[in-house]
Amino acid sequence: MIDCLIVGAGPAGLSAAIACAENGLSTMVLDEFMKPGGRLLGQLHEEPNGIWWNGIDEAEKLYQRAKALSISFHLETSVCHLEKVDGKYWTLHTDKGKFSGKNLLIATGAAEQSLPIPGWTLPGVMSIGAAQVMANVHRVKPGHRGIVIGVNVLSAAIARELLLAGVNLEGIVLPPRYLLTKGQSEPKDVFQSLLHMVHLAPSHLMKIGGKMALKSSFIRKMAVGTYPKKGFKVWGMPIKLKQTVTEIIGKENVEGVKVASVDSSGNIIEGSEEILPVDFVCISGGLYPLAELVSLAGCPFKYIPSLGGHVPVHDHNMQTPVEGLYVAGNVTGIESAKVAMAQGHLAGLSISSQKNKVSDGEALQNARESVVSTRTNALIHFHPDILDGRRRLYG
Amino acid sequence: MENENVIICRCEEVTFKEICDTLKQYNCSSREVKLRTRAAMGYCGGRSCRSFVDTLVAEFSRRPRADDVQLKYRPPVRPMPFKTLGGE
Amino acid sequence: MKTLRIKKHPILGPDDFRNTVAFTYNGKTINALEGDTLAAALLANGIRSLRAHEESGSPRSFYCNIGHCFECRVTVNGKEGVRACLTPVSRGVVVESGKKLPLPFKDGGEK
Repeated sequence: MIDCLIVGAGPAGLSAAIACAENGLSTMVLDEFMKPGGRLLGQLHEEPNGIWWNGIDEAEKLYQRAKALSISFHLETSVCHLEKVDGKYWTLHTDKGKFSGKNLLIATGAAEQSLPIPGWTLPGVMSIGAAQVMANVHRVKPGHRGIVIGVNVLSAAIARELLLAGVNLEGIVLPPRYLLTKGQSEPKDVFQSLLHMVHLAPSHLMKIGGKMALKSSFIRKMAVGTYPKKGFKVWGMPIKLKQTVTEIIGKENVEGVKVASVDSSGNIIEGSEEILPVDFVCISGGLYPLAELVSLAGCPFKYIPSLGGHVPVHDHNMQTPVEGLYVAGNVTGIESAKVAMAQGHLAGLSISSQKNKVSDGEALQNARESVVSTRTNALIHFHPDILDGRRRLYG
Repeated sequence: MENENVIICRCEEVTFKEICDTLKQYNCSSREVKLRTRAAMGYCGGRSCRSFVDTLVAEFSRRPRADDVQLKYRPPVRPMPFKTLGGE
Repeated sequence: MKTLRIKKHPILGPDDFRNTVAFTYNGKTINALEGDTLAAALLANGIRSLRAHEESGSPRSFYCNIGHCFECRVTVNGKEGVRACLTPVSRGVVVESGKKLPLPFKDGGEK
């Protein structure tokens, strides 16, 4: 029987598999995508030192290390159910048969949170991540000219990648204001989150308000007041905090979007509506942990908005209260791929230390510290209160 | 927003208005919204819309979101032919 | 219309050396590149619509592109419910879009 089954071949799953195999555990990795790497695939950003982080290369490096350690891979394999047999071992039910193992690590990452907008079922409307995968992994542009709805760290990062790939974008605008877009449709709220992206366009944002504006809602409102109506350009593409898409139009495919100007509270300014012709639309409402398998395994959850919603309860060694069940990566809360890799490494060591009956060794301690330092030094924080969210889990 | 007929559950084509009307009438749980409207009951297993349903339930009930997952995950989490599920 | 294929990329480099693979979609021959998913190959050929909603008939395409939303499900060699976004193309494969279904259980079998 396999010592460790890992669901998810992303940065967390691959890193965990390597740590398990290096410590003598027989390890199997399953993933439904045809390539290993998970959402590392397609990530592309410039580090402060000017070097490009290319997720495809990073995924390939991890995969080659895993292959060299004789880890078995089952790609294009969907896990649809799991069970603990006789309280002793786990069995995964997949579309390619059953697989059993003594320990189970779930590293299924995140799913995209959308924003329902009139017309969003039309062909040509897609999640922002879908466009990233289409362009950077499959090397097909999502369309000839598009617009991004939802101003956040994820949409800004991927919009830049799309521009690099030669995709034409109108810009990034807000979703229409209603119950399901709360916090993402009012310029004064979104402005605050934009300030966490100061590194994207330092001169513009510092001029408008800089970090000061974070501190008081009054100053924030004033700052939004001075926000240019046409937005400001980042990499030649405008981020329009005072424009919203009210409807996506088309018959068989997307033909355009109806846009309107809004005031700092998100109220539509009458007479400002116009139609922009586009053939694709990307929607970005953020990410949430994809924890359905963890739930089926009987693990309790905690609702922590700064981590993306419901996250499985687990300790600082990535172990859940369910014996033999571990978690790592975005399924534990939304953070960057580097944090996921550090968490995966820690989870792998944690599983190995149980199996090899090693006490809480130095390696485990180092791995825990590495997670914390990677988190603290992360270039992009998906949520400003991540550290607080983590404290709620680990105490 | 002008258009209350925006689709929330893409699989079952359940609209914002249908869910809000259900909540106004019954002030019910996510599970009851699902059973009454079919939102989150479709092919994707609620992966795309479960959080919208939870958000609307929290708004209407004015209760904070609970730690427990509101719409219980049930196997299979990917649609599978019965043959695959039942073994041989 | 200009191709949607990204042949050159400043960081990812060129994408030049893939063989052509032909398959059929709703009876039409589609030229794909080896390694394409069905969804990517169809998009590169200008085809977005992958199915009609079973009840309303509204056109649908891929939405999440990584297997979560099931919006891109098609029939491949007779097998229903196959996600076009996760399925690599293979030579000669027969792909059909999902169709609007009659609803005998809703309106008493009326056509």
